[in-house]
Amino acid sequence: MISSLSFINQKGEILIYRVYKDDISRNEITQFCAKMIATKENKEFPIINIDQTSFIHISIKDIIILATTKTDVNVAMVLEFLYQLVLIFFDFKSKICKSYFQGNLDENCIKKSFVLIYEILDEVLDYGIPQIADPNLLQKFIQEGGVQQETTINIEKLRQLTFTLTGAVSWRPIGLYYEKNELYLDIIESVNLLISAKDTVLRAEVVGSIELKSKLTGMPECQIGMNDKLLMGKQQKQTRQTIGISIDDMKFHPCIRLPKFDKDRTITFIPPDGHCQLISYRISENINIPFKVNVFYSEIIDNKLEIRLKIKSIYDNNIYGTNVLVKVPVPKNTVNAITATALGKARYEVEEQSVIWRIKKFQGDFETSLRCEINLGATNKDQVWSKPPLRMEFQIPMFTASGLRIRFLKVMEKAGYKTNKWIRYLTKGGEYLHRL
Amino acid sequence: MAYFGNNQQRGELQELYADLNDLNFEKKKEAIKKVIAYMTVGKDVSQLFQSVIKCLEFQDIEMKKLIYLYIVNYSRQKPDDAIMVIQNFRKDVRKSENPLVRALAIRTFGCLRVPKLNEYLIEPLKDCVQDDDPYVRKTAVLCVPKVFEVSPELCPALLEQLQKLLEKESNALVLANLIQSMREIEVVKGKQLIVLNPKIIQKLLLAIDECMEWGQIFILDYLATYDPVDSKQAEIIIERTLPRLSHINPTVTFCAVKLILKYLDYLNNGDLVKNLCKKISPSLISLLSWNQPEIQYTILRNISLILQKFPILFENEVKVFFCSFNEPYYIKYEKLDIMVRICDSKNFHQVLNELMIYINEADPHFVRKTIKSIGKIAVMYDKALAEAVSILVEFAKNVQQANEAVQELFIQMQIIYRKNRNLYKTNDSLKILFSIIDYANEPEAKSACAWIIGEFAEFIPKSVEKMGEYVDNFILEDRLVQLQILTSGVKLYIKYPSLCSALIQQLINSAKDSFNPDVRDRTYIYWRLLSTDPEIVKNLICYVAVGSSQFQKDIRLWETKDLITALENMGSISNLFHKLPNQLYKNIKVRNNNQQEVKIYKADEKSEAPSKEQEIKKDDQIQQQQQQQQLKQDFDLLNFEEPVSNNNNNNNNNNNNNNNNNNNNNNNNKIDVYDLI
Repeated sequence: MISSLSFINQKGEILIYRVYKDDISRNEITQFCAKMIATKENKEFPIINIDQTSFIHISIKDIIILATTKTDVNVAMVLEFLYQLVLIFFDFKSKICKSYFQGNLDENCIKKSFVLIYEILDEVLDYGIPQIADPNLLQKFIQEGGVQQETTINIEKLRQLTFTLTGAVSWRPIGLYYEKNELYLDIIESVNLLISAKDTVLRAEVVGSIELKSKLTGMPECQIGMNDKLLMGKQQKQTRQTIGISIDDMKFHPCIRLPKFDKDRTITFIPPDGHCQLISYRISENINIPFKVNVFYSEIIDNKLEIRLKIKSIYDNNIYGTNVLVKVPVPKNTVNAITATALGKARYEVEEQSVIWRIKKFQGDFETSLRCEINLGATNKDQVWSKPPLRMEFQIPMFTASGLRIRFLKVMEKAGYKTNKWIRYLTKGGEYLHRL
Repeated sequence: MAYFGNNQQRGELQELYADLNDLNFEKKKEAIKKVIAYMTVGKDVSQLFQSVIKCLEFQDIEMKKLIYLYIVNYSRQKPDDAIMVIQNFRKDVRKSENPLVRALAIRTFGCLRVPKLNEYLIEPLKDCVQDDDPYVRKTAVLCVPKVFEVSPELCPALLEQLQKLLEKESNALVLANLIQSMREIEVVKGKQLIVLNPKIIQKLLLAIDECMEWGQIFILDYLATYDPVDSKQAEIIIERTLPRLSHINPTVTFCAVKLILKYLDYLNNGDLVKNLCKKISPSLISLLSWNQPEIQYTILRNISLILQKFPILFENEVKVFFCSFNEPYYIKYEKLDIMVRICDSKNFHQVLNELMIYINEADPHFVRKTIKSIGKIAVMYDKALAEAVSILVEFAKNVQQANEAVQELFIQMQIIYRKNRNLYKTNDSLKILFSIIDYANEPEAKSACAWIIGEFAEFIPKSVEKMGEYVDNFILEDRLVQLQILTSGVKLYIKYPSLCSALIQQLINSAKDSFNPDVRDRTYIYWRLLSTDPEIVKNLICYVAVGSSQFQKDIRLWETKDLITALENMGSISNLFHKLPNQLYKNIKVRNNNQQEVKIYKADEKSEAPSKEQEIKKDDQIQQQQQQQQLKQDFDLLNFEEPVSNNNNNNNNNNNNNNNNNNNNNNNNKIDVYDLI
């Protein structure tokens, strides 16, 4: 499995270095770092194999996290593990050590909290084999920062802890209590759209996630019902409202009982305490595309370019899109741009090489337009302009592009308390591209 | 507190030494942290070993962890001092009531990796494997391969214990670790250790539902190497694995896909197979748009294997592989590669339309790959030819500078012309190519240009002048280009004997003294031939040839017989580099597969038998026959040559020369064969 883990900064210096197996020397890693800094290629490919040693890395801002191995490991597992490791650090940042990981995972933070990092590294991997990588669990017995000292002295509590760690419901500790029982669900969808220059839809896809935040007492049993076509089809009455949507694929948090879902498509689970991503899903059929864009580029005279843009929102007019942003790419030799629009503000931004049009609030079923006159400089005129696509960003609360709805959310606990439940919907622009 | 001071002074080690021996607990702790910090940046603090291990007497668990870290790092340098720690460890393992401390001790103990310490370890380890606490058990189980690696002779009893544990263990996490550690031992030992029976399989399947994601991966990964006894068993295992397709960890999903794909071969219910394929496909597609590019990359690298054995999975899904503008280039390259593989006579239009967009991107390397892909498609599918060529011609019209992409354009156009000589009649591609011919600067591209000039001299204005330029710079060119200039020069001479006589003279003069034997020999052969009988040369090098069978349609990465082994190892590093494990790692042995026939799952399903394979084999045979004929011709030519070559200065050279010529012609042949990958 994994032979060593190291954290490397941009200069190629090793910040953290932990060996799990003997077959790798620090020298090899130093050499690799030197190479990685020297050549661009090594940095680009996430997996590199030199003399039977494999270097697998991910980059988080300026920090490179590198795993090495000499055996034929499962690469996707190592990568996923590295990503989870980052998540653990971020989680520790926010919960225990506010004084440590402030903001980002940067060089200073790592240097300051290296003891904590070593302690985490010791626990998450043993002999290079991934063990416990759940942030909530790790916090129970990682000592740095002086938290949880008390539990480690009480033997009875320790028993409980190791039971939780190795048990079937490892994500939820026993004996939680809340004064107010609350459950929040956020359905967040991002729309990936690719439209060709001829206005045909090449790809439309919604990648969604259901985020759960729970503050519940005891060991509650929860159930979620969505307007999933396969589930709805099984029920007897089929009125117009009960025709469901078809979901291509769903991925579930470990807490959801997969065999149960496989059998009758009901989603049941004992929620983890606090925040987690419960479900992620992908839908490619019958997507409600929220905005329709028409764009025309026309050259008036040699060094002038006119762009006309029309946007129409295609959602109910009692819903508002917010923070709408349209990036209209312009040639490299643009000097300035004169823009005219009825809604929002538009201006040319050099570093983005585009005219950026911002609209704070965009009502549903509404059409607006933008006209830009671009003055081009004489330089670089001959160079071909590789037209990047026009892209859009937006957020539309209380709207789902896929039409997904939560039909019910049940919480059952033997104490029989009342739970406050909140559900929110949001659609965002993901890779919302329009080729020119 | 800054632990990473750069200004370490001479007295610093002494200072640490003093602090470590201080009576104040806090001071000791700070000192140990400093020691670890020095260790991290690679400074040698091994002298402090004795003082550090003295601090072990405290029960503070944080400090213990740090000291253990230190010991693990330096135990091999100081084996004698490390013995002193043994008592501490044994005390922790046996006496401590705290399971965390017990586990920590046994874990660290295993990491010491000093052979002579291991004998002290065996007994406590045996106890820990039977510990009441699952957390200690799971740690102890992982400790066994650590010991085995260093001193295998001590382990027989332990291995037996592990096997027994496999029968009776009930905790899912321990079970998963057990499987993984036994597999690690199997790799070192090179012998199978785990004996599966239906009861254990049942247990493992249950454990999948209960253990954490990593454990699920270990078990799924292991089960993928197992050969089910019959269709019934395969069906049961697949049924239990199916829910994993919805796991949020992409690796769990991927391992489940792997396992199911492997077991499909054992099912004898055709409808079930189809249904399963329908279920797998969306999960795989989700993985392909995974938001972590590195993971996406590893999955993409494995797709070629899946495509080869299970074309059915990606039927009509070519859109999934379209590149988006902001993706990292390593993903774009993979996607391009896959798009060519997935392209067939039905969807080529869609693929070409997409490639047409990429051709305008900014990165020349990416554009180059795009052009190469378009070229491949043009050669593979006759129907796609016209469309592909028109895209390339459109690109050629807009070329304004010499970059990588332009080089590829010449190379691909040459290959296309070779296959479809009559293409020049249908469009103005030749004229446009010739107008940008000066941009060719890579050897391969230049040689392509030289070939085009020689082949189509009649249809290109000023072809002789251009060839004259090439001949002028002959000495400066690469060997590859020189060879092609020679051939093309001779072609020109045969086409325009009077116009090119000066040119051919100059060419032979500069080539006959070349340091490169290949170039020299070819010059002499042409020279002799021309002076003997130009008619022979005409028949020989101006042949309008190359049947389509010489262009391999086959773009398989894997040998069909390797498919099953490769599938078992899907997701591994060797697979990522498109190799079998034993090809990348010398010490790994690959299991032999009992299966004779490799099933290919195609969309039109009716004939599951590998009909396509046979077809390709036939193609290969034809190709071989043709090559043999060609070779025979070459030999005839050589025999014909021999009496004349007496003029040669060195008779000894003669044989060598012949050999060289032989190679030479072989090379020549090879150039004609379209090399796809």
